[in-house]
Amino acid sequence: MATEVALLLCAALLVTVITAIFSKSISVTIIMMFYASLVLGIVFTIYQGVVIGLLHITMFAGAMSVMLMTVVLMTGESKLDIGNRKLAALLATITILIVAASSYSLFSGASSLPQSTPQSTESILVFVWMFRPWDLLILIIIFAAAMIGVVNLLSKEERA
Amino acid sequence: MITDQTVFATSAAILFFLGLFSMFYSRNLLKTIISFQIVVFGANLALFSSGLGHASNLMANTLVLFSIVVGAGVEAVGLALIVLVHRAYGTLDPWKIKRLRH
Repeated sequence: MATEVALLLCAALLVTVITAIFSKSISVTIIMMFYASLVLGIVFTIYQGVVIGLLHITMFAGAMSVMLMTVVLMTGESKLDIGNRKLAALLATITILIVAASSYSLFSGASSLPQSTPQSTESILVFVWMFRPWDLLILIIIFAAAMIGVVNLLSKEERA
Repeated sequence: MITDQTVFATSAAILFFLGLFSMFYSRNLLKTIISFQIVVFGANLALFSSGLGHASNLMANTLVLFSIVVGAGVEAVGLALIVLVHRAYGTLDPWKIKRLRH
């Protein structure tokens, strides 16, 4: 895949996220986060991570967007107070510049290093990969526990 | 030389720190949860980009899968807590909630 595609997708991702952060309306923020989730899912999908791409879109662009909208409807909060907008924009720009410069120099230097992994790390990865079905079972248990927690928290007041 | 891995890793770092910045700067708990989602996006992209240079990136995919599920679970519980906080205090501003406690 051409690097231009990666650059374009990452630019779209960053633009949607920055718009979500600096928006004053919660609905615009949720819509932008929906698009950001979609772009990230597309990144995963076209770079040979089809399963995680589809799961990411289902989970974040689907379920989480609906949950955020439900919470907005339940709480009635429509405006976001972001304080001094100019100061926030300045601080965010400085953060982006520092992180981009430092991480680019770090990762471009690291890519020239040999890609071999130490033996101990490799054995751990093989161990984790061998027990992948258990890993999936743990994921299901974690998600089920989270959902039970959510139901329990939301029904707490009704019981009292 | 710019590679796909470098582009994704740099974007992941920017996403992660933007999310952290927004999390600390926001005055609304809903915005804090959305910022947490941005941080999770950055972590997912960093994990995914770590497996791009190798012949098989299945291990990175497994870690991203784990991260997606755990992130979604944490976010769901956070949203439920936000609803409870709003019922109890009538606001989602953390500073006002801190004052109302006393």
